[in-house]
Amino acid sequence: MLGRTPLTVLTGPLGSGKTTLLRHILAVVPRKLAILMNEFGEIAIDTKILQGKNVEMADLGGGCVCCSLLGEFEAAVDEIIATVKPDHLVVETTGVAEPDALVFDIQESLPQVRLDGVITVIDADGMVKYPQVGHTSRIQIESADILLLNKVDLVSEQELVTITDKLHTINEIASIISTVRCQIDPDLLFGIGRDRLQSSPHHHHQPEFESFSHTSQAVYDRARFTEFADSLNSDVYRAKGFVQFPEGTHLFNFVAGRWDLEPFEPSSTELVFIGKQITQQKPEICDRLQSCEQK
Amino acid sequence: MAPVDVLNQISDVIWEIPVSYKEGMRVPARIYGTEKLIRELDDAVYDQITNVATLPGITKYALCMPDGHFGYGFPIGGVAAMDVDQGGVISPGGIGFDINCGMRLVTTNLDYKEVKPHIKRLVDKLYERVPAGVGSAGFVKLSRNEFRKVAEQGAQWCIHNGYGWEEDLELTEEQGCLKGADASKISEKAIDRGAHQIGTLGSGNHYLEIQVAKRENIFDKNLAKAMGITRPDQVVVMFHCGSRGFGHQVATDYLQSFLKVMESKYGIKILDRELACAPFHSPEGQAYFSAMQCGINMSFANRQVILHRIREVFSQVFERSPEDLGMHMVYDVAHNTAKLETHVVDGQERSLLVHRKGATRAFGPGMSDLPYRYQEIGQPVIIGGSMETGSYLLTGVSTGDQTFFSTAHGSGRTMSRTKARKTWQGQQLQKEMQQKGIYVRSTSHAGLAEEAGGAYKDVDEVIEVAELAGISQRVVKLTPIGNVKG
Repeated sequence: MLGRTPLTVLTGPLGSGKTTLLRHILAVVPRKLAILMNEFGEIAIDTKILQGKNVEMADLGGGCVCCSLLGEFEAAVDEIIATVKPDHLVVETTGVAEPDALVFDIQESLPQVRLDGVITVIDADGMVKYPQVGHTSRIQIESADILLLNKVDLVSEQELVTITDKLHTINEIASIISTVRCQIDPDLLFGIGRDRLQSSPHHHHQPEFESFSHTSQAVYDRARFTEFADSLNSDVYRAKGFVQFPEGTHLFNFVAGRWDLEPFEPSSTELVFIGKQITQQKPEICDRLQSCEQK
Repeated sequence: MAPVDVLNQISDVIWEIPVSYKEGMRVPARIYGTEKLIRELDDAVYDQITNVATLPGITKYALCMPDGHFGYGFPIGGVAAMDVDQGGVISPGGIGFDINCGMRLVTTNLDYKEVKPHIKRLVDKLYERVPAGVGSAGFVKLSRNEFRKVAEQGAQWCIHNGYGWEEDLELTEEQGCLKGADASKISEKAIDRGAHQIGTLGSGNHYLEIQVAKRENIFDKNLAKAMGITRPDQVVVMFHCGSRGFGHQVATDYLQSFLKVMESKYGIKILDRELACAPFHSPEGQAYFSAMQCGINMSFANRQVILHRIREVFSQVFERSPEDLGMHMVYDVAHNTAKLETHVVDGQERSLLVHRKGATRAFGPGMSDLPYRYQEIGQPVIIGGSMETGSYLLTGVSTGDQTFFSTAHGSGRTMSRTKARKTWQGQQLQKEMQQKGIYVRSTSHAGLAEEAGGAYKDVDEVIEVAELAGISQRVVKLTPIGNVKG
C-alpha cells in the first residue's frame, strides 16, 4: 500500500523569498511535486491552465503541477491527489496568512495527507529594518518546524546573532537555517514521499550540514525506538527513513524535534540523519540504534 | 495579560496610553472599552495601536474602538487620521485587505409570522443565488475591460446594468462610487481575481442574514421610523462582505510597492513591516489611493448585485414584487477604508486621511455626504454581531468628533480562528442554532465553528461603550432567524 501523501506548508511574510524557494525546489527536487497556492504566483505564469472543480492546475513539466485554489481547501487537496498523484504536496500560503489554522485543518480534516513540516521563510534584512515582529509574522514563526533565514548576506554577523536569538525566543523548537537566495539542500526540508528513499545525485549539501545513513536487517523494539527518537538532540535537523518493527515497517519522519511513524510497505531499516557536524555523533547514534534491535 | 497599569483613565470607557510608553510615539493612543473589555484585550493590541501612533502625520490620537482586536499591522478597530499637509501617510495595513468591507441593511414590510414558514426556502434559495466560500464565483461574468468600468463606476455601474434601483445609490455611502478610482493603477492579477467575484459573499466572517426587529429591541422609535423600521417584528435583511480577492490583491501589490520605497526614497522608519506606508502626496501613495478606491467601488458593486439577488429571491418566494414587499435600503456603510475628509482639530479645519480598519464611519447630524433623509438624525451605522447573538443599527452623533466620527464595526473576536475551531464543532453548532430558531447554511463546517458566538466579545457591551463614549447611539437591536454563512 502507499502511505499518505506528505504535505509541506510554506509560509513567511511578503517578500521574504517564498517564490524563490519554490523555484529552487522545483529545479533540484527529483520528485513529482504539486504546489498549491491561494492564487497563481509568478511560478505558473504563461503556462497552460487546466480547469478543475476545486483547483486550476498549471503543468510545470517533469510531472510537477502548480495549483490555484478555487473551492474549499480540503476538496482541492482531494482533487489534486486524485488527478495528479503527487509524491509531495507543497502548500504555499500568502504572505499575509496566519498558517496555524491551516496546520490545524490539515491535521484534523485531511486523513489522506501527512504533515511533513512547516517551513517559514524569514528575511534577515527585514528583521533588522523592522525591529518589531508583526502579529502575522509572529504566528508564521511560531508555527514553523524549519525557519529558513534568508538574505543573510545583507546583514552583519552580529545582527545575525541577534536575529537568531529573537527567532528562538518566539519559537524555541524550530531549526534555523541560514541561506542566501533560498539556496538550500531540499533533503533538509522534505521527508520521504510516496516513493522510496531517493538519492538525489545532482545537488550538494549545504556546506555546514552533514548527513549519514544507518541500515539494518534487524527488527526494532518500538518502545526503545520511541525513547531514541525523543532523545535526539537539536543538532539533528532532519531524520527520515524506514524502520522495521514486529508489527511491520514504518515510515519515520523527524523534523526539528517533532516526529511521527506511519505504517509503510515492507522494507529493511534504512535511516538518514542530517544536521550540523552530525558525523561526529554518528558512532553514538548508531550505537543507540543498535540497542533498539530486538534480541 | 494586558499591561493595564500603563493606561490613564479618561472616562468610564476611554483609556489613554501616553506618548512616553514607546519611543517614537507622536500622539497618545486611546482605547475605548469597559474595564472588563480592556482587561481582556490581547497584548498585541497595545503594541499595534502604539506602533500606529508613530506613523508620520498622525493627528490627535491613535484610536482603538471597543470591538478592537489584533490584525495585520493596525489592530482591527483602529482609526488613524493622517494630516496630508504635514507629511501624513497612507498605509494598507490601516485599511485592511478586504478593502471597503462593509454592511448593507434592507427592510421588508413583512413581519416574523409571515416569514417564519418560508425561512428554510428563503435561506436555501439565497444560498444558491449568492455564492459563498473561499474561491466562489458569481453569476455576473465580466471581461477585463468591463471589470475596469466596475472599478471606476462602483454601484452606479450596477444600476445602469439593471442590478438595482436608482434610490439605492442615494442610500449608499459616497453614493456607491468614489470618483478618484483609476483602473490603470490596478494590476492584471487583481483584475483576474476580481472579474468573476461580483455578487459573491466570500468566506470568513462574511454572511447574509434575515433578521427581526423585535418590539422590545427598539431603543428609539422615532429614529427607527426614520430608518424605515416601522412595524412590530418587522423582518429585515443584513449582509456583510467586501471586495473579495480583488481588494486583497490590491493591498498585497501596494504593500510590496511601499516596502521598496518607504525607507530608501522617503526616509520613513517603521517598527513593524506590516505597517508599510508611503506619504499620501507621493506618486506611490497616490497610486495606491486610486487603486484602493477601485477596491471600494468594486465592493459597493458587489453589495449592489447581492441586494438585487436578495430582492429576486424574496420576490420569488412571496410571489410579490420587491417594490410591493417594501425592500428599500436603510443604508450601506463600510468599515475598511481610508477617506480624505475635512475635520476641525483644535479649532482649525484640516484635511485628514482617516484610516478606518474595522471601524465604521458615523457622521453626526447635518454633516456632508448624508442622504437628505438622514440629514437631521445622523448617519445610520450597521453593526454585525456574531451570528448567534444579534446585530445593531445605530446612528452617528455630534459628539463623534472625538474619533473623527468613527465607531465600532462588530463585536470583535476574543479568540483566534484556530482556537475557535478547536473549541466548537461546526455541525453541532448548526444544530444548536436551529434549536434556537436560526436556520443556517454554510459552505464549510470548520468556517462555521470560527464564527461561534463564544469566539466574540459581548456585542451588547461593545455597543453600550460606543453609546456611553458618545461616538454613536443605539436605534434597534436585530435578532437573526436565518443565515447564509460565507
